[in-house]
Amino acid sequence: MTPFDVFFQQLVNGLTIGMIYALIALGYTMVYGIAQLINFAHGEVFMVGAYLGLFFYTVLNHTVLASWILIPTFVATMIATAALGYLIERLAYRPLRDAPRLAPLIVAIGISFLLQNAVMLIAGPSDKSFPSILEIKKYTFSHVTITNLQILITVVSLMLMMALHFFVKHTRTGKAMRALADDRQAASLMGIDVNFVIAVAFVIGSALAGAGGLMFGAYYSTINFHDGYLAGMKAFTAAVLGGIGNIPGAMVGGVLLGVFEGLAAGYLSSQWKNVFAFLILILILLFRPTGLFGARVVKKV
Amino acid sequence: MKSNFYIPGLVLAIIFIGCDGTSDTASKIKIGCAAPLTGDQATIGIDMCNGVELAILQANDLAAQMTPGATGIEFAISRQDDQHNPAQAVNVAKKFVSEPAVLAVVGHFNSSCTKPSSAVYNEAGLVQITPASTNPELSKQGFATFFRTAATDDVQGPKGAVFAVKKLGIKKIYVIDDKTTYGKGLADEFEKEARKLGAEILGHEGITQGDKDFTPLLTKVKPLAPDLIYYGGIYPEGALLLRQARSLDVKAAFMGGDGIATPVFIKLATPEIAEGTYATMVGGDMHQVPAAASFIRDYEAKFGVLGQWSAYGFDSANVLIQSIQKAATQDRPAVLKSIREIPKFQGITGDIVFDAKGDNQNQFIGIFQVKNGKLAYIGSAE
Repeated sequence: MTPFDVFFQQLVNGLTIGMIYALIALGYTMVYGIAQLINFAHGEVFMVGAYLGLFFYTVLNHTVLASWILIPTFVATMIATAALGYLIERLAYRPLRDAPRLAPLIVAIGISFLLQNAVMLIAGPSDKSFPSILEIKKYTFSHVTITNLQILITVVSLMLMMALHFFVKHTRTGKAMRALADDRQAASLMGIDVNFVIAVAFVIGSALAGAGGLMFGAYYSTINFHDGYLAGMKAFTAAVLGGIGNIPGAMVGGVLLGVFEGLAAGYLSSQWKNVFAFLILILILLFRPTGLFGARVVKKV
Repeated sequence: MKSNFYIPGLVLAIIFIGCDGTSDTASKIKIGCAAPLTGDQATIGIDMCNGVELAILQANDLAAQMTPGATGIEFAISRQDDQHNPAQAVNVAKKFVSEPAVLAVVGHFNSSCTKPSSAVYNEAGLVQITPASTNPELSKQGFATFFRTAATDDVQGPKGAVFAVKKLGIKKIYVIDDKTTYGKGLADEFEKEARKLGAEILGHEGITQGDKDFTPLLTKVKPLAPDLIYYGGIYPEGALLLRQARSLDVKAAFMGGDGIATPVFIKLATPEIAEGTYATMVGGDMHQVPAAASFIRDYEAKFGVLGQWSAYGFDSANVLIQSIQKAATQDRPAVLKSIREIPKFQGITGDIVFDAKGDNQNQFIGIFQVKNGKLAYIGSAE
């Protein structure tokens, strides 16, 4: 392996995990953009997605769907996490819509603990082994190894992101989401159902996190009830990096964070891996709080 | 100002509730068992406390068979979860100390938890035996209440190195640890001895407990082409490390300490990938010890499959039970005096003889290898 091969291998690895960060980051950024709320329970929805993915995969494996298992597993997981996202919004955040901003933030932390402990009690505290959802094939290009699972993660993530982009840009609900992000009061005066649009943002964000959780479980092959915390914080960092509230920003931020983290761990020191990731969060918040792509907010006089 | 009146009332209420809760169990003597009982290391912790519970049940059965009222001390276990978190371990220790019925503690599991909690036990004069914390520094703190039955890392690490370099003929080694007191300590001791024996250490890097992605480090390791990757740490990260190494086509042999010597490691890594992995382990294969046959039968009837630490938990609890029974009075100072007076305890893991620091003089290390998806005992380390 030449140094160039090593670099390229680090890039491939970083890109894969970056795709998953991006999927989770979208949920943070959409909810923030529309409801001005940082949903810290989002990482837990991702973790529940991993467990539900394992559950649906195991159940569906014994049915006629077994030969096409990936698609129904993805669909079922995403529907289930979407429902969870809706429930969280309906039961925890909607009653606090007009409360001071600190209240929903604290509720978010509460939901996060609730979900972690519920999963721990239901699924057990120890690591669960995730079966190989597809037979791993390795492709080697001059010593750089890429697996078909890595390709699958990249392709599925890109497809989901493109679908989201289309939805936001070209549908009525998408237009309503953009309107709400611009000015909630004006949007509601124009007859946009604010509660409905916020619920849609939660549902879509949670479905994406569910897909991310399923792929995370398949990629790392073990899942644990506290996996949502670190992944959620990284995705939050990615959302801030791209500019929180900015959808393309979250996609780019996720991929950049994954690659940066991988390169820093590989070339500098692996024990400082998480430090590098969160250093980015601090630096961005200090020097460019609107993120790489965030539009500068014009202050109203 | 009105609300201020509630607070003293509430505190009093809590105190009374607290008194009520303990008074009906005060007749029993409690032995604490502190270990990670939830979380990713729960399996090992529960295995350990199951061993303690079996010892207590057997002691109670024996006491019941004797004429009533003879020396019928009845024991009970108090399991506490330290979540392999040092801060939580101190809370658990304080909880044991504040409960008068607790006369001795088996625990903790992780060296990083045993270290801060041992200070709490020492201050309260509460005897502690750790069946599993293997960091050598623990017994060098000069605490009279500290005892351990497990062999230490300054024995386990070097013995692993001797096996790797002399028996397996390994020349180039990459060392990885999880930065914990246990993992780093073990890896450092391994590295020191391996260097002394002439092996080349290509590098030594840390990873973070709870992290999932070790591919950046492994990608760096791959072009160095080590013969062996030595890992000082616990099984959740160990299993992922091995899986990710294999998926990057890193062909080096894999070796670790007692932290990965558990069936869960094989399950998480999958049997195909775990095949051939070496692990050093405190103690040998209990199934090959004739004296342990009845213990294994009773254990498996009650708790299912025997864990790697069950036997050490069992022996540690039995040492404590004997000390409490032989103590002049059933209080903490008498138990501390009594445990020092036991010349030799014949346990199922071997003879237990404590030296002045509280370490077990019988430092037995076994070498295991994953064969056909199971941990197979190769032999005792030299």
